[in-house]
Amino acid sequence: MGRGDDYEDDDDIEPEDGDEYGEDLYEEEPEEEDEDDDYGGRGGGGGKGGKGSVKKRQRSDFIDDVAEEDDDEEEDEEVYARGRRHKKSRGGGFIDDIAAEVDDDEEEEEDGEDDFIVDTTTDVVEDERRMHRRPLLSREEQEEDVEDLERRIQERYARSSQSEYDEETTDVEQQALLPSVRDPKLWMVKCAIGREREVAVCLMQKCIDKGSELQIRSVVALDHLKNFVYVEADKEAHVREAVKGMRNIYPSKILLVPIKEMTDVLSVETKAIDLSRDTWVRMKTGTYKGDLAKVLDVDNVRQRVTVKLIPRIDLQVLANKLEGRDVAKKKAFVPPPRFMNTEEARDLHIRVERRRDSMTGDYYENINGMMFKDGFLIKSVSIKSISTQNIQPTFDELEKFRHPGEGDGDIGSLSTLFATRKKGHFMKGDAVIVVKGDLKNLKGWVEKVEDGNVHIRPNEKGLPKTLAINEKDLCKFFEPGNHVKVISGSHEGATGMVVKVDFHVLIIISDTTKEDVRLSCFVSLCVLTIGDKIRVFADHVVESSEVTTGVTKIGGFELHDLVLLDNATFGVIIRVESEAFQVLKGVPDRPEVVLVRLREIRSKIDKKLFAQDRSKNPVAVKDVVKVLEGPCKGKQGPVEHIYRGVLFIFDRHHLEHAGFICAKSQSCLVVGGSRGNREKMGDPLSYLRTPQRIPQSPGRLPPRGPQSDFGGRGRGGGRGHDSLIGTTIKIRLGPYKGYRGRVKDIKGTTVRVELESQMKEVTVERSYISDNVTVTTPYRDTSRYGMGSETPMHPSRTPMHPYMTPMRDARATPIHDGMRTPMRDRAWNPYAPMSPARENWEDANPASWGSSPQYRPGSPPSRTYDAPTPVGWASTPGGNYNDPETPRDGNAPSPYLPSTPGTQPTTPSSVSYLPGTPGGQPTTPGGGGLDMMSPMIGGENEGLWLLPDILVNVIKSGDDSMVGVVQEVLPDGSCRVALGTSGNGEVITALPNEIDLIPPRKADKIKIMGGAQRGFTGKLIGVDGADGIVKVDESLDVKILDMGILAKLA
Amino acid sequence: MFFHIILERNMQLHPRHFGPRLRDKLVSKLMKDVEGTCSGRHGFVVAIMGIEHVGKGLIRDGTGFVTFPVKYKCVVFRPFKGEILEAVVTMVNKMGFFAEAGPVQVFVSNHLIPDDMEFQSADTPNYTTSDNSVKIQKDSEVRLKIIGTRVDATEIFCIGTIKDDFLGVISDPGAAS
Repeated sequence: MGRGDDYEDDDDIEPEDGDEYGEDLYEEEPEEEDEDDDYGGRGGGGGKGGKGSVKKRQRSDFIDDVAEEDDDEEEDEEVYARGRRHKKSRGGGFIDDIAAEVDDDEEEEEDGEDDFIVDTTTDVVEDERRMHRRPLLSREEQEEDVEDLERRIQERYARSSQSEYDEETTDVEQQALLPSVRDPKLWMVKCAIGREREVAVCLMQKCIDKGSELQIRSVVALDHLKNFVYVEADKEAHVREAVKGMRNIYPSKILLVPIKEMTDVLSVETKAIDLSRDTWVRMKTGTYKGDLAKVLDVDNVRQRVTVKLIPRIDLQVLANKLEGRDVAKKKAFVPPPRFMNTEEARDLHIRVERRRDSMTGDYYENINGMMFKDGFLIKSVSIKSISTQNIQPTFDELEKFRHPGEGDGDIGSLSTLFATRKKGHFMKGDAVIVVKGDLKNLKGWVEKVEDGNVHIRPNEKGLPKTLAINEKDLCKFFEPGNHVKVISGSHEGATGMVVKVDFHVLIIISDTTKEDVRLSCFVSLCVLTIGDKIRVFADHVVESSEVTTGVTKIGGFELHDLVLLDNATFGVIIRVESEAFQVLKGVPDRPEVVLVRLREIRSKIDKKLFAQDRSKNPVAVKDVVKVLEGPCKGKQGPVEHIYRGVLFIFDRHHLEHAGFICAKSQSCLVVGGSRGNREKMGDPLSYLRTPQRIPQSPGRLPPRGPQSDFGGRGRGGGRGHDSLIGTTIKIRLGPYKGYRGRVKDIKGTTVRVELESQMKEVTVERSYISDNVTVTTPYRDTSRYGMGSETPMHPSRTPMHPYMTPMRDARATPIHDGMRTPMRDRAWNPYAPMSPARENWEDANPASWGSSPQYRPGSPPSRTYDAPTPVGWASTPGGNYNDPETPRDGNAPSPYLPSTPGTQPTTPSSVSYLPGTPGGQPTTPGGGGLDMMSPMIGGENEGLWLLPDILVNVIKSGDDSMVGVVQEVLPDGSCRVALGTSGNGEVITALPNEIDLIPPRKADKIKIMGGAQRGFTGKLIGVDGADGIVKVDESLDVKILDMGILAKLA
Repeated sequence: MFFHIILERNMQLHPRHFGPRLRDKLVSKLMKDVEGTCSGRHGFVVAIMGIEHVGKGLIRDGTGFVTFPVKYKCVVFRPFKGEILEAVVTMVNKMGFFAEAGPVQVFVSNHLIPDDMEFQSADTPNYTTSDNSVKIQKDSEVRLKIIGTRVDATEIFCIGTIKDDFLGVISDPGAAS
């Protein structure tokens, strides 16, 4: 019973020992230590943990057994004991386990490993063991006296033994446990790879068999060290002796481990993340070095893992190799990763076999011994060749790993990304849940955060007010319906509502995109976009009451911007992520979303362009259009961007792509009143317009009105920049060849031209325009614009009024304005400020109608226009006609008169204008109607104001230009021109558009064609750019006038 | 939930309306301005029931507009978390479906649709149980529970669930036809 007592005492001591060892360097082996202590401790104490104890363990197991037996049945027969022995010896570990569980915190891996060894290796050595058992037992039996055993062991460890452990071990004592020179050394012995454990066990067995003959103390096989085992012995010779005759061990190389490093050998690193399926790892070596891989399978025994990689295989090279062709080996070149395309491989005559893996039952494509599945390379590699720590797959990598065929990968893999969390992960007030340990699933709120520990206020009653819990065991806690904000990861800044909580993975519905976002409460890494769903591992999701839209801007690009990706592609940013944008490409037939990084974006497209819809309506940004064709047929919404005939329409009912729809402008129709009307009106006009245009061109008069508008404001400024602005030009080349329009703006070598026939602005090369075209109807356009939707009609009729308009313009307007100012003379001033140029028109028109009944049909549209001022015009028409005289009398008798005879239309108008405005011009820019024209006109057209006696070029179609002198201007706008420089040739009648002014040169006699001095003659004494310096004959004043209004006198 | 509450608002009125019908004008303008709007605090203003009080108008410098403080009684609708609502499905997609309960838009994510209902992307996208007995498609009426609300200044957006007892389709247009 002494024996039993002894052991029981020992057992009692265990916990204390355990405690002591808990402080030891190597926490995992107190158990063994305890047992060792039973035998009087062991040299080096804790310093030699690990498998060093394996051998001893085996022993102690036996002893434990004995002890137990003694406890249970003291007088156990040897035979019985023997019978059990065998079983027990295998189950020794088991008993240890129980012991381990009993003393609570000391649950160590060693146990497990020991078990493992026992389990597996005993199988291997079982027979052996059976054979040897007897002698061992008998020996043990012989030593009935445990004292004896104890003595022997003590003897063995005498030198280094720590005879007793005090209750408190001090640092010094701990220090003393470290190996010293007097302690046995550790020798590193080479053995067969993969046989380390086996060797250790064999040695242990040998030791058991041979007893003290073997002078080694322990054998250690380390998992992380291949090819070597450590043997603890005093001398190298002892080691050699011990390993002699053993298989798998190569005693040729026995190295001494320096004392300093001995502890390192046996210190156990904190366990790395357990490799498990779906873990992300990185390759350490080879072609795939640095590549992200996903673990498919782990073989712990063989220390290999099967990983899935994106192959980096150059099929061409492979094909060459397979066909035995010479392969130029370029070491430096690493093929870029891309998915294996078996079709492609077959095309290159690479044999692709489809095989079934016997282990998993899955099918793989086998190419040259490499296995592929779904385009991925399935590779078995050694655990050593992958790194598992701190894998932070980047957004890109995960994105790439998302093979099209893969679909919705399981979220599990995301959870394996438990990376080290940022500091300050938790904040006071956060709702948290305990995910590990005894308090698992306890919910609470963060009260205080200390480093590494978080104090939480638990939700449950009966618990202390606050509990300190390791940060690692906590996870933020959210409930469906919480409104949250992502505070890290690529969705950083986004807010959304939690839809589902799946352990630590949240699915939130983003406020902005109304898309699912998956977040992990644990890991803050990245996003996977899979289909529509986005999963994020967001370390941080914070409950938030704010509704942010998330990040909407990176660099210069903002959400919903139209951006240029490369020359051919462009798109709208539909989502901004932390490192990239999602861009809906401008491909009309199908929505195509690409992920683009900041640097891949060329530029932002900021142009305001126009397009035409199916019915040739101009479509501008913000117009509401309806999609008539294509995948988004039936959708409707405002146009957000227009580029290259592609519209980006925002439909708020469209959930994908942030509501953006991409469609060809041709497959859309503008929705909405005014636009639609215009279209309707446009058509009738168009036919009206075309035929008339040419003959009417004389009708430049009307244009003047509006133009003058221009002159008033735009002109002044515009002039400074470029005299071209505001002028009417004709486009000579390019897609708009033949169009006329006004120059709106000039940028560098391009000119924006407002086309008169299409009511839109186009950009053309400056070289494409001919700016000295005498465009007859330039101003209509402007006016049209100004007027808005009604304008379109004008062009059509204007042509006809030419003559009357002039007078009207002046007079009619006044009438309208006031209703009360029928008097034209006075009218001017009141009129001027208001510059209702258009009104003039209308008024004019009716008048003209009156005169030219045949045009009536065209006029109705104008009605709308006129409607407001019916009275006005009722009176005006009559007046108008008469007017011509009135103005004359008052205003500008001289210029007018001459003109009247021939060119009624033009002259009167000019007359009326001039007279009215002489004073007014400078003062009333608004009234510009009149004044402005005069200056500006200069720039534009001579046709309008042809006056007698000036020298012109007549260009009859088909003929060359002929020089002639205007004899008179006919009422219809055409002129009688006497050919010849001196006007003594044949007299012909020329339409105004066939007439070109001959620009005067310095010292030429000139006639002023516009402005206050219209009709005056003078001498051009100098030219300064677009301005001419004129000495007016009559007054001898020197004036600076636009060259455009100067005509050479015959 | 509907509430009958009194709210106040400053109405600006153009001077041209000053006259005998000023008050009428004020009321009609108020209705036009307020009905159908949503304030984050009170929810959607469904209807104005009456004017409680019209304060003294104050002429604003520079514009001639007059500001009247108006107190009015109105019915507001504000969804709450946990509230059960009946709503009409307006759109079904693979992420779930949107339903409208009056002015409130409710999104029911596919995670909050019973697991036995699967998304069918047919002509009319819908969620259907495996035995085809229940179908959620556009215009279906569903009873749902609000699990979260997001209240913006001008919008209330809710997340709902039908993954609970007695929730789900209450009338199906497809079934009727």
